Amino acid sequence: MRTTRLLALAAAAALTVGLGATGTAVASGSPSPAPAAAEPVVFTVGMLGDIDSANPFTGIAAESYEIFQLEYPTLTEYASSDFSIVPGLAESWEESADKTTWTYKIRSGVTWSDGTPLTAKDVEYTFNRVLNGEYEQTNYGSYVENIAKVEATDDTTVVFTVSKPSPIMEKLYVYILPQHIWKDIDEKAVTSYKNEGTPKEPTVGGGAFVMVERKVGQYIRMQANDNYYGGRPAVDEIVYRIYKNEDALGQALKAGEIDFAEGLNANVAKSLEGVEGITTVSAVYSGFDEIAFNVGAALDDGTAIGDGNPLLEDVKLRQALQWAVDRQALVDKVLGGGGSAGSTVIPPIYADLHLEPANAFGYDPEKAKALLDDAGYAEGPDGVRVDSEGNELRFRLFSRSDSPTSQKSSEFVKSYFEAVGVAIDLKVVSEDALIEIVGQGNFDMFEWGWVVEPDPNYQLSTFTCANRSYKDGEDIYANLSDSFYCDEEYDSLFEKQSVETDSAARAEIVKQMQQKLYDDSPYLVTFYYDNYEAYRSDRFTGFVPQPDPDGALLFQYGTWSYESIKPVVKAEQGETGAPAASESGVNWPVIIGIGALVVVAGLVGALLARGRNKDIDSDDRE
Amino acid sequence: MSVLPDIATVPVREHPRTGTWSSPTLRYVVGRVLSAFGTLVFVVLFNFFLFRVMPGDPISLYTRGRAMDQDQLRALRSQLNAPLGQQLLEYLTNPFAGGVDSIRFNEPVWEVISPRVPATLLLVGTATVIATLVGVWLGIRSGWNRGGRFDKVSTSTTLVLYSMPEFWFGMIILIVFSVQLGWFPVGGLSTPGTDLGTPAGWLDVAWHLVLPVTTLAVIYFAEYSLIMRASILEERSQEYVQTARAKGLMDSVVRRRHAVPNALLPTMTLVFLNLGFVIGGAITIEYVFSIDGLGSLTVVALQGPDVPLLQALFLLFSAAVIVANLVADLLYGWFDPRVRT
Repeated sequence: MRTTRLLALAAAAALTVGLGATGTAVASGSPSPAPAAAEPVVFTVGMLGDIDSANPFTGIAAESYEIFQLEYPTLTEYASSDFSIVPGLAESWEESADKTTWTYKIRSGVTWSDGTPLTAKDVEYTFNRVLNGEYEQTNYGSYVENIAKVEATDDTTVVFTVSKPSPIMEKLYVYILPQHIWKDIDEKAVTSYKNEGTPKEPTVGGGAFVMVERKVGQYIRMQANDNYYGGRPAVDEIVYRIYKNEDALGQALKAGEIDFAEGLNANVAKSLEGVEGITTVSAVYSGFDEIAFNVGAALDDGTAIGDGNPLLEDVKLRQALQWAVDRQALVDKVLGGGGSAGSTVIPPIYADLHLEPANAFGYDPEKAKALLDDAGYAEGPDGVRVDSEGNELRFRLFSRSDSPTSQKSSEFVKSYFEAVGVAIDLKVVSEDALIEIVGQGNFDMFEWGWVVEPDPNYQLSTFTCANRSYKDGEDIYANLSDSFYCDEEYDSLFEKQSVETDSAARAEIVKQMQQKLYDDSPYLVTFYYDNYEAYRSDRFTGFVPQPDPDGALLFQYGTWSYESIKPVVKAEQGETGAPAASESGVNWPVIIGIGALVVVAGLVGALLARGRNKDIDSDDRE
Repeated sequence: MSVLPDIATVPVREHPRTGTWSSPTLRYVVGRVLSAFGTLVFVVLFNFFLFRVMPGDPISLYTRGRAMDQDQLRALRSQLNAPLGQQLLEYLTNPFAGGVDSIRFNEPVWEVISPRVPATLLLVGTATVIATLVGVWLGIRSGWNRGGRFDKVSTSTTLVLYSMPEFWFGMIILIVFSVQLGWFPVGGLSTPGTDLGTPAGWLDVAWHLVLPVTTLAVIYFAEYSLIMRASILEERSQEYVQTARAKGLMDSVVRRRHAVPNALLPTMTLVFLNLGFVIGGAITIEYVFSIDGLGSLTVVALQGPDVPLLQALFLLFSAAVIVANLVADLLYGWFDPRVRT
């Protein structure tokens, strides 16, 4: 018996050592992340999702857009400092005095990554492709809505004729594609065209990087474009690796498998704080969460739908509820401090557009109660307020099963509302069920959020009368509006801003609209949340936040960081540059602790087993 | 001329013996195949209707936050909103496509599924083989010498491992071996840029697979070992084993030639049942070690949900279980004549 056991142990030991040896052998053989003299500088980003497609007419995931903007230029770009409009592929642009044309001057002497000249013809081709293609419009339709004609008058000039003035004309975020490649992909082939580069045939682009490899669900490799008009980046290669959960992402950063972790959650980000060689960033972000009220569900033609509680149509009630919620407490308790208290639907990250209302709803439950009393909602016998006809202020609040944040924040809001005598029935549903419930108007309140683009048009359009639900045949479908807010004055302001091409004048209108929404309160904006990122500051430096100084370092509107990061210089490398995980970073106490835990568990198990075996054996021997 | 006709005319009831195919055997095989086919047809239809009664509006969810007009949305919905009869017909002609693309990936579902099959097969297949070998060996050892020191150590270890939560166990393994010791990668199937067509590439994949396969094998082998131990215990007390011993056979021969073949049957059933679930992947393990197989694809498909993709995956998983069951049944019939009659 003893020999068998020894053998087993020996075998196990051999196996472990063998595997370990294989591991280290391969590890040293694989490309080391520490850049030596001639070795390419590889910047590895870990992220949680894969791109959904590498074809700019198909992909919609945030990860896809990150790749597209690396590969393809746009006419103008959003400045890293404050999202103002700065030159991109175009060096200048001008709206004609009669507001019927826009003339873009394209940089001269630019070439695609394969050496072919990049001219105004490519711009003309790309926009015409979007204008004339049904499939091509799915991603870019909103940019070409008002464009009647696109013409390259010479190699560096493109003239757009517009059907009506539009502020979007100076932020045409359409990726300019090489005509000599895409002309061979017709309107049918484009729907299934993958556009994935290979080491032998990288994609042809005009941005800072081009794609050289994609392993679906695993990684994407991008190579610096020598011909990039902005100058070749210091990084030779970007690798995006996909991890399935935040914990693994954090561990990969610690182990040095990646240089940058995108999309961490608060817990993992906190666990990385103070780790040597790692810098964590709680970046201000363009997203907000809200409690939306059903202010009177109806179709776009005004036909009432749904079973929403009509009491919420009273603006006085909604305003009273705004005073009942402690938004800062939500930020502290739900977001762990990673965010700021919410006010209007254009987040403060867009400093030029965001309105900080002068008449801010603070946290004042007494005031909320007083307002409710004044509005005629007296406290009923069981503490729940009632209106003059005896209807209880009792509402359904839907939260999303897909989001722990949504559920937590709904719990808090429920208790805040109940503290002022408004009863809440919490319901948790999946997002796709909720979008249907909301579209049919079968709700009173729900918790959700939006991510707002630098151009406010889309976000503001979610409150227009025309964007309420619509009927297609017999079926009712959700449109963009999820509060069913409908106001004539708001709609006319919306029309006005959509044709105002002077950005300062437009910002004024946009602020008026925010004030109107704030006062009418179809939404109770709870908070603006942060986006957590972390990177190996012992390896790379020179990140550019957008906006300055506390914005995101990657996944921006633009590729600012990718173009300016550099590896940490060699002198420092000598000291800290060793692959972090192997020699220096071993945390023996942790390993010993875990080992001890396993031994204890094993001993307890053995004792239990022995006791039990004895029993069985004695029974057996009778 | 002389002997053969005689035998043919005499109605001798064939005695079923291991490894021969006779007419009851044929009936058994046909019966099993038909029943498996019936189950499959039922699952195919059930699968179709199951996904048609699910509430929700995935198209609106996927397009939320995007500027799309109603015509574009209508086009997207048209494939999900086609008349039920037409959908069923398309579905039956090709259950994995049915003319419907994955909503999330914008590709025919089979093109989404197929590249992810090898990763899952490699992971769960390797783990199953290792777990079976180790588990069966441990089970025989400890069962045959019940109460011995080997049995005590092995059984208690097995019980501890068996009761370990997969996610937690995987995460511990990952933190110790990948982060602290730095021996293995944190996630993925290969180092970016490695050419998988070369021996170095294969080694790289093997290196990436060590931790997930080990974790999964450890979780599986405990189950096999416990079952194997139990059935060996049962066989050991049978009279035929005593007879074999009484004949004066060596202990190891009694074990190997007499007890083990009989004791293997329950374990075999379990292995084949689990094989059916191989294709479903080890969702937790794929999630912990960031392996892009069918398990993690299912998680992605559930978010939304991506109905066409989910439907195809469910069908694939149920078909795999049915086929594995059929194989197990047939093999069982081959190994154990009692089943056939």
